[in-house]
Amino acid sequence: MICRFNYRHMANTLSLYRTVKRLGIPDERIILMLADDMACNPRNNYPAQVFNNENHQLNLYGDNVEVDYRGYEVTVENFLRVLTGRHESAVPRSKRLLSDEGSHILLYMTGHGGDEFLKFQDNEELQSHDLADAVKQMKEKHRFKELLIMVDTCQAATLFSQLQSPGVLAIGSSMKGENSYSHHLDSDIGVSVVDRFTFHTLAFFEKLNMYSNASLNSLFNSYDPSMLLSTAYYRMDLYKRALNEVPVTNFFGSVMKTIHTDSAYTGFLAAHDAELPLSVGNNILDHVMLQNEASARRSNIEEMNVSFSKFCISFI
Amino acid sequence: QVQKFHISELELSFTQGRWNYEQWGGYDPMSTNNAKPPGVELWAIFDLPLAEIDATWKNLTHTLSGLFCASINFLESSTAFSAPRWGFKLNEGNLRYGALPREAVCTENLTPWLKLLPCRDKAGIASLLYRPSVYKGYYHSQKLKLKSSQSLGIILDQTLTVVLQPNTVSGKQLHSTGGQLQPSWSMEHLFSKKLSGKCLVSKSSRVFVEIEKGIVDNVDKAGSDVSSNNDLFVLSTAPDRSLKELDNLEVQSSSLYEYDVNNYNSDKPLNVGITWKLPLIWSCTRAPYHASRFLMGSGNERGSIAMSFLSTGLDKQLVDSSNDCSIKAVVFQVVPWYVKVYYHSLEVFIDGNSKAISEVVDKIHVTPSEDKLLPGTMEMLLKFPCSMQLATLTLDFDKGFLHIDEYPPDANQGFDIPSALVSFPEFNSSRSYPEADPLFVSPLLENFKEDGVVKSYTEVLLVPLTTPDFSMPYNVITFTCTVLALYFGSLLNALRRRIGEEERGLKKADKRGLIPLLIAKLRGQKVDPSESESTSPASLPRSKLLLKVVFVAVVAIVFHYLSNS
Repeated sequence: MICRFNYRHMANTLSLYRTVKRLGIPDERIILMLADDMACNPRNNYPAQVFNNENHQLNLYGDNVEVDYRGYEVTVENFLRVLTGRHESAVPRSKRLLSDEGSHILLYMTGHGGDEFLKFQDNEELQSHDLADAVKQMKEKHRFKELLIMVDTCQAATLFSQLQSPGVLAIGSSMKGENSYSHHLDSDIGVSVVDRFTFHTLAFFEKLNMYSNASLNSLFNSYDPSMLLSTAYYRMDLYKRALNEVPVTNFFGSVMKTIHTDSAYTGFLAAHDAELPLSVGNNILDHVMLQNEASARRSNIEEMNVSFSKFCISFI
Repeated sequence: QVQKFHISELELSFTQGRWNYEQWGGYDPMSTNNAKPPGVELWAIFDLPLAEIDATWKNLTHTLSGLFCASINFLESSTAFSAPRWGFKLNEGNLRYGALPREAVCTENLTPWLKLLPCRDKAGIASLLYRPSVYKGYYHSQKLKLKSSQSLGIILDQTLTVVLQPNTVSGKQLHSTGGQLQPSWSMEHLFSKKLSGKCLVSKSSRVFVEIEKGIVDNVDKAGSDVSSNNDLFVLSTAPDRSLKELDNLEVQSSSLYEYDVNNYNSDKPLNVGITWKLPLIWSCTRAPYHASRFLMGSGNERGSIAMSFLSTGLDKQLVDSSNDCSIKAVVFQVVPWYVKVYYHSLEVFIDGNSKAISEVVDKIHVTPSEDKLLPGTMEMLLKFPCSMQLATLTLDFDKGFLHIDEYPPDANQGFDIPSALVSFPEFNSSRSYPEADPLFVSPLLENFKEDGVVKSYTEVLLVPLTTPDFSMPYNVITFTCTVLALYFGSLLNALRRRIGEEERGLKKADKRGLIPLLIAKLRGQKVDPSESESTSPASLPRSKLLLKVVFVAVVAIVFHYLSNS
């Protein structure tokens, strides 16, 4: 998630982060980039809290947020490195996009943008050509199977106008020449707290849970130009599947296939209790594990989930 | 990871806020051990040959950055860290120290810190941490200390220090010169929760309330015994034990009340609090000198760093004021390379009088900065006379220039000089509380007992540097393109345009008009080209043309030479 400077951009990204976590994607699979610290900023009257609604009912920052790139680290260079996977050797795993050819990736970007660019940190831009090139590299290196790009900025649709790689679906909050507007102003905090496009996206997802099979088509049709005050434009010429067959949880959530087994897990060492019935794929991480069995289990989970591995990158 | 990096000792702290030494103390084990400079501070001692340490440090910073969701990787380059020998901790060159004063600290840093605890924040004392309360306080600092040895294995010590503001202070807080009015508080009031039992995996879980000796003294004066309910204050829950500090020299000593969290559960939660029966004004014990640092000078070319030591009167109480007594202070300061300090310009003023360096500075070790390579490190051992009231040290510096790519996005805010560390080796801030049960030794009390040298961190300095005009690359591109366009445009114009052709064409059109022309063509009449007009002025345009071509060529050659040289 890429987040840019205004409070509402931060709130946009964090709302989507929260939604995606709620629908099942774990933190290890999310790369969150926030360009500025709003929650613990001295000007924030509500420390450690970020709201996307003036009723202040939901604290988006919560207790368990993990930000991978923050502050000065959110640069075009780092973004492109994350996408293409070309990092220096010292960069830790949590900052890398560890996707493979079976992955479905959601890329959400919000901030200030314009005709064919997205602004980064007040002194840099990401151009649509750069984005298209990075996506092309990703496709060459088999780093994704399907990619959904959501952009919430002014003239958002221009950012993905140069894409050519197959398997990419993109939606932007406004077309060329249009602005994207914020939803409402919170007079307590003093700034707008969420953008219209993201607000309606969230309204759609709040009605869902992990197991619902609402399709992407219904998501895209839920955007009403009179409510958004701009035209949400989506580009599906590069995406081969029909949108009404693709469940939103393919990108926004992570549904684990669980197999319930009553037999003992053979990876356990004798020191722990044997004969524990386990459902492979859920809540194993709660148990205290020794090093070798941990790695054995992890490889099992990854095998099963290779067709369902979801990654989510969002920026401000 | 600890073994991979061959770390023998490491400490990483994330701090937001500045420890207020004047109001919160500078002489007790809490402020000595837990008061940290704002931002991120990282130091590590490696068990490796000296040549490999820098590369290992770089990998360590990246790993920690991924682990704690912070930009610690900015400490990787050699311009960001230094290797002090004795100013920070005595070592043989295998210590590396780095600090990032501007790093924000928020929930995302606390999350991984909590994940290192066995019960995270689900049970035990950590479950009290209501994030808005923690981050609303005056100061919060989370610290991770790691010690690795062959015999003891790896010992991980995590400390979270929070200075909170209770809301019960109604009306104005009295700030007399002595101190401030103490507010009543309780856990539930501060954290909106009560403690309902300990983490099941932990060996012991205890809550301590310490009443400093100044207050104990007041209670004694009032005539009552220092129990949990006396004339001055009452604790909301009766403690399980109370401990008195072992101090052979004086009668007054601090007192500690202990609560064993094991005795409480969700039916009978623990809510520690204190209510003051009488208004109490209390001031803390301060370090012998209040060290502070500030910038002098104006303009974007040069300036000065000044460090002042103001006597707090403690030294009078503790040290015999004979004529040749002196108090030692060790100063450790790292200054980034773009603030080029001239160490020879060090001047010392004691009580307003300038003194020779050799009188005051006992030992000094300087690693001068190298442009874009190393920061400037200074370690100094100073000796102040006991009767001194105020000492000031000044150092001049020049401001350097950075490459345009090296400026942060908000370059006009300024650049930070990390906090300097001042320690007083002759003063010791340990407090010893006797343990009743030798099996359950509390690590916190062990820390209190350790010989801790009194130290304080100075302020972070913000230095405004000259910033370039960031729009210049755009301006240069626009300007150059315009010049090139004009050049090519003129050249092509000069070479290809026939002068007079337009006028001829217009004249033709004027003479006949379009319709008469068509009619004439239809009738088969020949269209008479007006050749006579083009021949006579032909030589003049030709020489003009030649001149133009030569002029443009000369301009082009000159421009090429200038741009290539």
